[in-house]
Amino acid sequence: MIYIVTAFHAEAKALIEHFGLKKLYEPSKFQIFSGNDIILIESKEGIVKSSIATTFALTKFGAADKDIALNIGICGARENTFSKGDVILCNKIINHYSKRAFYPDILIKHSMKEASIESFMHPVKKDSLPLEIEGDIVDMEGAGFFEAASIFLPLHNVHCIKIVYDFLDFEKINPVEIENLIKQSIPHIESLINSLLKLNFEFCNNTPEIDNIPLLVNKLKNSLHLTTYMTNELESLLKDYIIRHKKLPDSIFEFFEVQINSKKEVKNYFDKLRKILLS
Amino acid sequence: MTSSEKSFLAKHFSHVYVEKEVLSHPVTIKILENLRSSQIVKIDNYKEVFCRAGQNYSLQEKSKKLILAKKYREFLYPGPSICHNFGYDNFFYTSNILNCIYSCDYCFLKGMYSSANIVVFVNIENYFKEIDAILKNQSLYLSVSYETDLLALEKIVPFSSAWIEYAASKQNLTIEIRTKSANFKALEKLKPQDNVILAWTLSPQEIIEKFEHGTPSLSSRLSAIKKAIENGWKVRLCFDPILATEGWKTIYEKFLNQVFGELNREKIVDISVGVFRIPKDYLKRMKKAFANEITAFLYEELENVYTYPKELKEDMIATMISRLEDFLPSYKIFVV
Repeated sequence: MIYIVTAFHAEAKALIEHFGLKKLYEPSKFQIFSGNDIILIESKEGIVKSSIATTFALTKFGAADKDIALNIGICGARENTFSKGDVILCNKIINHYSKRAFYPDILIKHSMKEASIESFMHPVKKDSLPLEIEGDIVDMEGAGFFEAASIFLPLHNVHCIKIVYDFLDFEKINPVEIENLIKQSIPHIESLINSLLKLNFEFCNNTPEIDNIPLLVNKLKNSLHLTTYMTNELESLLKDYIIRHKKLPDSIFEFFEVQINSKKEVKNYFDKLRKILLS
Repeated sequence: MTSSEKSFLAKHFSHVYVEKEVLSHPVTIKILENLRSSQIVKIDNYKEVFCRAGQNYSLQEKSKKLILAKKYREFLYPGPSICHNFGYDNFFYTSNILNCIYSCDYCFLKGMYSSANIVVFVNIENYFKEIDAILKNQSLYLSVSYETDLLALEKIVPFSSAWIEYAASKQNLTIEIRTKSANFKALEKLKPQDNVILAWTLSPQEIIEKFEHGTPSLSSRLSAIKKAIENGWKVRLCFDPILATEGWKTIYEKFLNQVFGELNREKIVDISVGVFRIPKDYLKRMKKAFANEITAFLYEELENVYTYPKELKEDMIATMISRLEDFLPSYKIFVV
């Protein structure tokens, strides 16, 4: 699953259209769109709201290790080394208030510029720019999104993509202009998504036998009434056995149909199973 | 790695994370000159990047990043009991680089750190200062390439030559630079020093292909050793770790014949031999990140160290020693 978090509908609109997403009409505090293994959630403005929306989406739809989370939106650039419409992959994300910095793992090639971003609670203007600012670009969501998403997902799967909208001298934002800028950035975003999918698919895949382990372990846990400790040990033993022998032990299937009547029997069966797996 | 894999992965050191405090350090400047196309990200402390939660070690190995930092306090550590002191009394090791550019399945670093990225402590002058103070009162045997392969990184971080130049003026210091690199060329212009031992870890080609990813072939390592010997360097050979893979007896027999068929045995200072062994906690962590023949083996535990079952271990050591004694006197063979 790919999770996309935007602040406003103007930032989401082009993505919704491009990826063919449909609005979810389940009761929720957020506008959520889904389709083609993508969930898009609109968080509204601010570090806290972005963090809440990210947590909500990743929890509600059950984030797994190979899932990807992206925060996509507009930002302001401090320097004129950037141009309006520049698509930026953030390599450092700073929460201006907590001073905490977050670093995505950028393991793949991409076609974007890179910069550090600093997130604020309020819109930042050039004439009120704090002296101690470190980010090359500023926004109001990145740090909240990243801190939340990185609790659920590995760091190489969490990224902030920002499109330069202004140079901190704006008066009013124009939703149509934002929509167009996001639309223009889609090829970069799509290419990043494809590379991340490839990375996760090619390098995080186990053998088919190892992929089946959770299912097997669950079956054995139920039939043998295993404790949590035993279940964890069984999972590790099974994995090692398959690596050593390139297959499951033939006798393992006998344990699926066992009738357990006492704790003593649980222990005996588990010891028997362990002996087989330690060969 | 195939070319299609390379095409979408960022190259090693595509990003260099630099502590703000060392941005203007001469070593930092030199390193960054060698990595002009890399993205530089300023950080406050290397642990922000190196010790983050949520890193995927095995994926990071495909695109390692460099972290430049300043080391404080402890610069030297006593040599661990599972390593050999080669008869030297004051055996210490030092780590001004953490982690290695190579990716060997059996490497203890995979259980030691949560990140595959490489940390370089650029303030090498502080290491030298600390050693200067120690050398006033005692001699020192120092392993300087303990948690990395210094020579393999020499093109980017010229620390092997820095250590050799430092050791040249120190009478009571002996340093060992252990490597799998074939990059002897990087040291060719330096004058060989009596108190510097270049130690090459050698493995059969079959083992290199299966377990030592990204390392030079046996034949290129042997060529580098030959040149080092010709140039007058003291060379140690390390057959460590010997791995109990299928057919290990035949594999290692053929390997020893090749090594001593090519090298002048009389010019070898000594040899270390040891079977695979690893602290218990490290193996536990390695198992979480990697599933392979090394992590899945049925080891025996002895004093918090996992190694091969006693009988197998004895057989491996005895086999190696008996063959090695055909080539070298036993006083030159150190068994761990």
